[in-house]
Amino acid sequence: MRQQYARRTQVLTAVMGFIALAIIVQMTRIQNSPEAAIFRQQASNYAYELRTFYPDRGEIYDRNGHLLAGNKSVYEIGVDLNIVKDPHAIASAVSVEVGMDYAQVIGAIQNPSADISYVVLADFVDVQQALRLQELKKLLQSQAQEGALGGLTGLEFKSHPQRSYPEDALGSNIIGFVSREGRGYFGIEEKYDTLLAGNPVQALVPTDPNKAFEIPRVLNGTTLVLTINRDLQASAEKILDESLQTYGAENGTIVVMDPRNGELLAMAVTPRMDLNQFWNYGSIYNNASEFNPAISMPYEPGSVTKILTMAAALDSGTASPGTTYLDTGSILVGGALIQNWDEAPWGVQDMTGCLQHSLNVCMATLSTQMGAETFYGYMDNFGFGHLTGIDLAGEAAGRLKIPGDTDWYPVDLGTNSFGQGVSATPIQIMMAASPIANHGRTVTPHALYAMVRDGRQYDVPAQFAGSPISTQTAETLSGMLAVSLESEGSMALVPGYRIAGKTGTAQIPVNGFYDSTKTNASFIGWGPVDDPQFMIYIWLERPSASIWGSETAAPVFAEIAEKTVILLDIPPDSIRQQLVAK
Amino acid sequence: MHAYKIAPWRVQRQWVGSALLAVVALAMIATLYLDVTSQAAIAGREIQELTASISASQQVSADLQTQLAAITSARVMEERALALGFRPMETGEAEYLAVPGYSVLEPDILSSAPLLHLSVLTIPPEYNESLLEWVDKKIANSARGIQ
Repeated sequence: MRQQYARRTQVLTAVMGFIALAIIVQMTRIQNSPEAAIFRQQASNYAYELRTFYPDRGEIYDRNGHLLAGNKSVYEIGVDLNIVKDPHAIASAVSVEVGMDYAQVIGAIQNPSADISYVVLADFVDVQQALRLQELKKLLQSQAQEGALGGLTGLEFKSHPQRSYPEDALGSNIIGFVSREGRGYFGIEEKYDTLLAGNPVQALVPTDPNKAFEIPRVLNGTTLVLTINRDLQASAEKILDESLQTYGAENGTIVVMDPRNGELLAMAVTPRMDLNQFWNYGSIYNNASEFNPAISMPYEPGSVTKILTMAAALDSGTASPGTTYLDTGSILVGGALIQNWDEAPWGVQDMTGCLQHSLNVCMATLSTQMGAETFYGYMDNFGFGHLTGIDLAGEAAGRLKIPGDTDWYPVDLGTNSFGQGVSATPIQIMMAASPIANHGRTVTPHALYAMVRDGRQYDVPAQFAGSPISTQTAETLSGMLAVSLESEGSMALVPGYRIAGKTGTAQIPVNGFYDSTKTNASFIGWGPVDDPQFMIYIWLERPSASIWGSETAAPVFAEIAEKTVILLDIPPDSIRQQLVAK
Repeated sequence: MHAYKIAPWRVQRQWVGSALLAVVALAMIATLYLDVTSQAAIAGREIQELTASISASQQVSADLQTQLAAITSARVMEERALALGFRPMETGEAEYLAVPGYSVLEPDILSSAPLLHLSVLTIPPEYNESLLEWVDKKIANSARGIQ
């Protein structure tokens, strides 16, 4: 009996052992079969997914830390077609909350393109609208029977950042804008597009949580700090808008720069655009140069150029402040008659009188005495005909004809001396005049104060572009310009502050002839004369209240200069000199 | 030997005992492996959730920063100041006082310090290495040591 049980046990053990062996063999065979390799390959395809991490675009601040361009969340709203329960409920909700056409939404859900499981209904949807839809989805889900799906099942929300400009149109010409594709246009946004956008990082992300997610380090785009003073910018824009009304000008530009280092403090232009509604660009501007005329619209500046001619004459030794000449009201240059603005003779004048009365004949006399080589050499050194290198996108170079050019005539030596036949942008003229206010050194205008990346700030140093005149010439000319303003009782004077400056009234060339009824009124000035801390340029296009820069641009200069000294905490000269003496 | 001959079950009990010991050892290893891998999976899931949470917080922070900038914009602040009865200052109204030793300070760092980014170097291997990988690594290290 015991033998019989023993035999049965042995047989059972052998069978069980055989089965176990068969299982092991089969497992081993399957594991090492060609099919297994294919399956392993297929599994590995899903073990990782290639994901692109886009950094947040860097922010833009003014010099005092006010945010000028930031990012805000918006939503993409879509539908997962695999789990949609009630397309009509989705279409109704989306059409009510987002304002989309009901038929369009229902069509997108019910008649999708082949082979897609997700359809985007709307993008860049405001947070509030998206949140209301999300709340409605939750509400319908909670009201559904237990285990059943809510009416908005399948409606999906994905948030992503969008560029936002809290100051709306303030400084729009400086900042530029970013399209929905993420590309920067104009101003800082275009010039520093690559820096602001940062570098997207592609990484293989394991889908298996066992393989702990190794987060790739994605640095956000570089944050930029501008030299712009927001409050001064706001004041400049307000004063400019009021000036256009007061003087009936078509458009205008006000630029405030620190002549010691080229930092732009404000740059106001018209028209401006609300950067949060950049799609209105086409209805506001006719061409790209209108976006920021201060850097991209060259024009004949007129008499403001006389300070540069005088600087060249003084520096080259052609004249000194006390040099006199007899003004007969006209001079012949290159066979053409050049006259003063009033076509009258002014008798014996010294160089300060030339500037004070803005005498064309005096300037033409100086340029012809210097000779073309010297005169155009200085103009070239001042930067005429060259880009300033300002760090804003879209700068135009202007034009300075020189001997040898096919369209240069001998008379140009005379007319160029008082700003006719030469074109430049406001920023070019400021750069050209900067050595007069900065002890002979030319500054490169710039809008970037610092870059902040990965917690570190990199300050942008001032760049100098040569010394076209000596320190002595600069200080002498500044003094002459201050005296000329004071002697004529200019409307540009600011009580308590000594200002140097020059008006410009340039007739506008129309079909090859100058229209005496339409002018560009300009003023360039800086102060305090003994320690210049601001340089201001005013340009009013076609003012109708008066054609003269002395009656339109000069008072605008005084107004913005008064605001500048308050906002920059510049005490009146007497107090400042007392403070320095202490 | 005599005792084993008269009581063969003693040998059988040794075999059964050895088999049971092996089974218990295997069960312990399996339990340990399950525990470690489940902990790794939980840690991995937590990392994923924290990453999403950091991302969401950063978006919320950016939103709030933009909202704050909008409600303190130049236009809004001017309107609020005028509504409160303030007016722009004129040039002659400012009073200047000399403060010995004082100089205007320009801010050095205008942005907040960045968040710490988790990177491969900051995640210890205990959180991203399975037991088998750990054993593999040990074997490879010892093999390298032998060579």
